[in-house]
Amino acid sequence: VAFHPGKESIVLLPHAQTLAQARSYLAALADQASTIDASSAYERVLIELDRIQGDECPSADAEGLTEDRAILLAVATSALEELEQYGVDPLTVELVIAMLDDAYALDGT
Amino acid sequence: MYGETGAAIRAEFAALLRQHRIQQRLVGTTTKEREELGGLIRTYRQTVLVWLGQAMRAASPLAFSNMPPAQPNPFRAVGSSGSHLSATELARAIDLAKHQSSASPASTHALATPNANPMVDRWRLAARAAALAEHDTSEQVSAQMTAPQAQALVGDVAALTQALVVLDQRYKNTPGWEPLAQCARLGWASLAAALDVNLGQPDYAIDHLGWRPKTKVITGPVRPGILGVLQAQHNLVIRMKSVPNATNLRLVVDSQRLVSAHLAPYAARIDERLAGRWTERAETYSVIQKELREIGGLLGKGGLAVSEGANAVARLKALPRDTIVEPRVVSGFQLLFNRLDHRIADVIEDGVQQGAFFKRVTLPRLVGGGGQLVRPVRERFVPVTPAKDLEVVKTVRERLRPKNEPPMSTPGPTRVDLHSALIHRPTRGGAVDVPNV
Repeated sequence: VAFHPGKESIVLLPHAQTLAQARSYLAALADQASTIDASSAYERVLIELDRIQGDECPSADAEGLTEDRAILLAVATSALEELEQYGVDPLTVELVIAMLDDAYALDGT
Repeated sequence: MYGETGAAIRAEFAALLRQHRIQQRLVGTTTKEREELGGLIRTYRQTVLVWLGQAMRAASPLAFSNMPPAQPNPFRAVGSSGSHLSATELARAIDLAKHQSSASPASTHALATPNANPMVDRWRLAARAAALAEHDTSEQVSAQMTAPQAQALVGDVAALTQALVVLDQRYKNTPGWEPLAQCARLGWASLAAALDVNLGQPDYAIDHLGWRPKTKVITGPVRPGILGVLQAQHNLVIRMKSVPNATNLRLVVDSQRLVSAHLAPYAARIDERLAGRWTERAETYSVIQKELREIGGLLGKGGLAVSEGANAVARLKALPRDTIVEPRVVSGFQLLFNRLDHRIADVIEDGVQQGAFFKRVTLPRLVGGGGQLVRPVRERFVPVTPAKDLEVVKTVRERLRPKNEPPMSTPGPTRVDLHSALIHRPTRGGAVDVPNV
């Protein structure tokens, strides 16, 4: 896990921007989910992402994003993958993406 | 709870008032033995008097006269109303009786040891309940009391004082008996106080005030079916006593959203209206969840609460679709939901107010060059605003916090019973409750 409690973690601007994008896409997915279960599953991906970052995250802005959930899933996944470049543990990122895929599968049915 | 201890005192006194021919009940071969029992009864009476005095002190700041305010006359000096509160007079008379008596309050040993004589044992039980009731009319409790509730308390004290006066007359032949000081005055003061209370509308919701045993986590094996969900929900309410951090709060909110939404269909078979309320609750929690995304904070714990919330969701999802949920269980859920909503509303409001939760900052936005030579980074600052401007606080105040429903309160059977026992007299001939002589 990238975040170690008690250790100062430095979040640089590009990292923060990627994080903000990932959060925004996840928030949009949660808002547009077809069922309450799927919405809650997306929400938990978002919470997990915040937990990894030690809750040091910029705000999300789900306004004005596309309503196509497939596109949102793709951009969210790519934003999450991008996080690896900023020192987030790759395995953790993979686990978050797996959670996201599960949530999407729940949403589709 | 005052409802329990007060009812116990009244029940014992009602039973004592129905007993006549005291000397035959104080079974003892010698005068000395009867004197000993009489002394014991007086210590028990002293304990009851101590509580009566304390209850009057608790009620006195709130016991206003029922006198309508007089028309203000500008030509008359203010503050010269000579009206004497009957409640104050009763408190004074009780204090006098307490101080003039030579008996000391019963010791813990005397309160706990059962007496072989059934009548003395009733006195003991009454004194024990009075000692316990000191918990329920303490200063902390009287701080929550309203004026009508204080009136109800004054009414109870007046009835019990009257009972003491009646019993004092009846016990006067006991060897070594010491009558209450200014017994007649005490009786009239209690009558005046009782009459004064009934001019207003006493609120018997006071029965719900006072000390309660601590609610505990239900441990042990998981209860089968819907009871397991209820168990987890109950434990969640208790675990929420510790303040959760922002992440855990979001997880708890998420669990409540799911629990409400999934329980609504079960409730719909019993009560459509309740199901509607639960669906609405799920929507409220969805909104709160959305707004909590913008809230962060590392202070607090709440791991146990989250796990109980997850338990509730998992057990609820595992229920078979055709489960019948009893109305009792449904109302149990409603009670727990109300408590939890109150608690979550408190956590969010206090957290924002005291700085445990903070609002996330919007990032500075990089804007592509527009041809100008110098392009500063456009930055958005979040203005420091009072807590009430925050969306989530507004939602919590307007939608989440349950409306206060005053608990239904009736005088209860013991008050009626005591009042009728005050004027009890033995029937002629075959009195059932008099021992055969």
